[in-house]
Amino acid sequence: MIHTAGIDIGSGAVKTVLFRHEGDRSLWLARRCERIRRRDPMQLAQQSFNEALEEAGLAANDIEYIATTGEGENVKFATGHFYSMTTHARGAVHLAPEARAVVDVGALNGRAIWIDGRGKVLSYKMTSQCASGSGQFLENIARYLGVAVEEIGPLSESSKNPEKVSSICAVLAETDVINMVSRGIATPDILKGIHLSMASRLVKLLKVTGITKGKVLITGGLALDTGLLAALREELVNEKITGLEAMNHPDSIYAGAIGASLWGAFRHHRLKELQQRAAA
Amino acid sequence: MNTPLKDIIARCEGLFEDLRFASVQEWKAAAPGRKAIGYMPIYVPRELIHAAGMLPVGIFGGGDQMEVIQGDAYYQSYICRIPRSTVELGLTGRLDCLDGMLFPSICDVIRNLSGMWQIMFKDKYVKYFDVPQDYDDAIGGEFYVHEMQALRDDLARLRGAPVTDDELRASIAVYNDNRRAIRDLYAFRAQQPWQAPTVELYLLLRAGCVLPPEEHTRLVREYLAAAAAEKRTKRDNARVVLTGAFCEQPPLGLIKSIEMAGCYIVDDDFMLVMRWLLDEVPEQGDPLVELSKAFLHRSAQTPSKYDDKKEDKGKYLLEQVRTRGAEGVVFASPSFCDPALLERPMLQDVLAKHKIPYTAFKFAENTGQMAPIREQAGTFADSIKLWSAA
Repeated sequence: MIHTAGIDIGSGAVKTVLFRHEGDRSLWLARRCERIRRRDPMQLAQQSFNEALEEAGLAANDIEYIATTGEGENVKFATGHFYSMTTHARGAVHLAPEARAVVDVGALNGRAIWIDGRGKVLSYKMTSQCASGSGQFLENIARYLGVAVEEIGPLSESSKNPEKVSSICAVLAETDVINMVSRGIATPDILKGIHLSMASRLVKLLKVTGITKGKVLITGGLALDTGLLAALREELVNEKITGLEAMNHPDSIYAGAIGASLWGAFRHHRLKELQQRAAA
Repeated sequence: MNTPLKDIIARCEGLFEDLRFASVQEWKAAAPGRKAIGYMPIYVPRELIHAAGMLPVGIFGGGDQMEVIQGDAYYQSYICRIPRSTVELGLTGRLDCLDGMLFPSICDVIRNLSGMWQIMFKDKYVKYFDVPQDYDDAIGGEFYVHEMQALRDDLARLRGAPVTDDELRASIAVYNDNRRAIRDLYAFRAQQPWQAPTVELYLLLRAGCVLPPEEHTRLVREYLAAAAAEKRTKRDNARVVLTGAFCEQPPLGLIKSIEMAGCYIVDDDFMLVMRWLLDEVPEQGDPLVELSKAFLHRSAQTPSKYDDKKEDKGKYLLEQVRTRGAEGVVFASPSFCDPALLERPMLQDVLAKHKIPYTAFKFAENTGQMAPIREQAGTFADSIKLWSAA
């Protein structure tokens, strides 16, 4: 039996998970999701890790492998670091074993990843540096419109005549939204328009990866945005990609941290094997 | 008392960042008549310059802190950056402290730069230093001894006195000691890469480009003692050999990014001038003949060096991977570097035959955007850690 931790430092939140592994079984012991809100992500990682340990009734030296992902390369107490593609892929197949692609939509960028049943990355494509396909952009717009983050999805789903915004540039998209407000466009239609623009961009990324069929799990901070999920499904139909089916999972936001923790367990066993081989 | 690690690194950083070469100016000012001779990558027999009582100074371009304005006017857009920034260093007076400049045989661009230098800096000693492409002592060896003798005669003229065999033997001993220290440094990093991050090793090597060799050897030994005593955390990183950066240098940020991304660099081809000769050069006998034999039979391999036999291609790289226990190879070559980029597919074939994973990217000495490199190095490290057969 071993314990591992996964810490995913995103641009909007720090996600921490603890797992116990016995043979092929992995038991999820504790979780933390802390919005960064101008705090130091490294300190937040330490604090979340301590809280997760407390919740699981464990001490730091009970953890055989502490794996970081996202922007966590500089976490001093980590055993190793894995890249976001690698961890979201592994986390996705843990949450939804049937998933063959991941659309990770974080605060600052989005990426589409084609994976196999083991969680191996076969191909991936990221958004460029522009933030128009990201959670931070959506959150900013919601704030301008006076809408709470949790209201975004249901409002978007109630839209009758969505107005699409620029999917290329966040600045242009914000200008589009200001124009829409002055033209009296209803809030649900603006939000749905944004979701459709984001979804159109994400579907393009999916197409570039080469995947044509299978389930697509949305992970990252926007995974539970029902409006985005609905828009993604619509865009897949519009683009005539009938083989792909978009889905989410209640724990999608933890996919990166889960993947890190599970890969940490894998690495722990492999390092032990290598040590034993070297000793023999 | 031992020098603290942070002081050693701070000193090396200071020397690295100083593109006015104040340490060279100070060395020259410390005694009348002192001279300094610059040399470009990859290798020159620094023993000859040292034996003439002069300071060999490695010129490895302008890095990412210098804006190139005049240098760009001399080259087409498809030429690498090191000749541009070297021209910039010269035209802006930063190399005025040098009394001469050696351009070893690296590629056409650097060979032509030696001619440009002769036209631009008529008052300076300039030499294109050729190397043998035949490894028979009686043919390539004789040619190389002749090249070194010509350099020795030139330096004697500059100095106003002949460079004796005894002086050369003494310099060979000094550089043997330096090479031993560098070998120890590389062995230490390969054994405990978390104790000697490559960015520190790199700065130490760069310090050796401007310091007298005796002082540099002491500095390397001080670093080894200080780094061994430092408490640093070991990470679960992939062990890689970095290759392709033997001439134009990557920015420090790139080296940091590769290690931060989850790779421990356990061998490389930075500043090969300090490790070109693979073992001791005998301190007895004819010094030029011994230096020639070391070059012909016991020296490193780079794309700029002629490979006598096809089956020898990639032999040195494979040896680096094997002896350092590396799990993969990172090809990091300067954009438009003909030798590195033409050699790369052949080396990749050799690695593929030996089932050694690799990844490849290009850089310039002023590359500023590290995110793609970090991502590529990071995913490469992940693929080694999670999917390699080991």
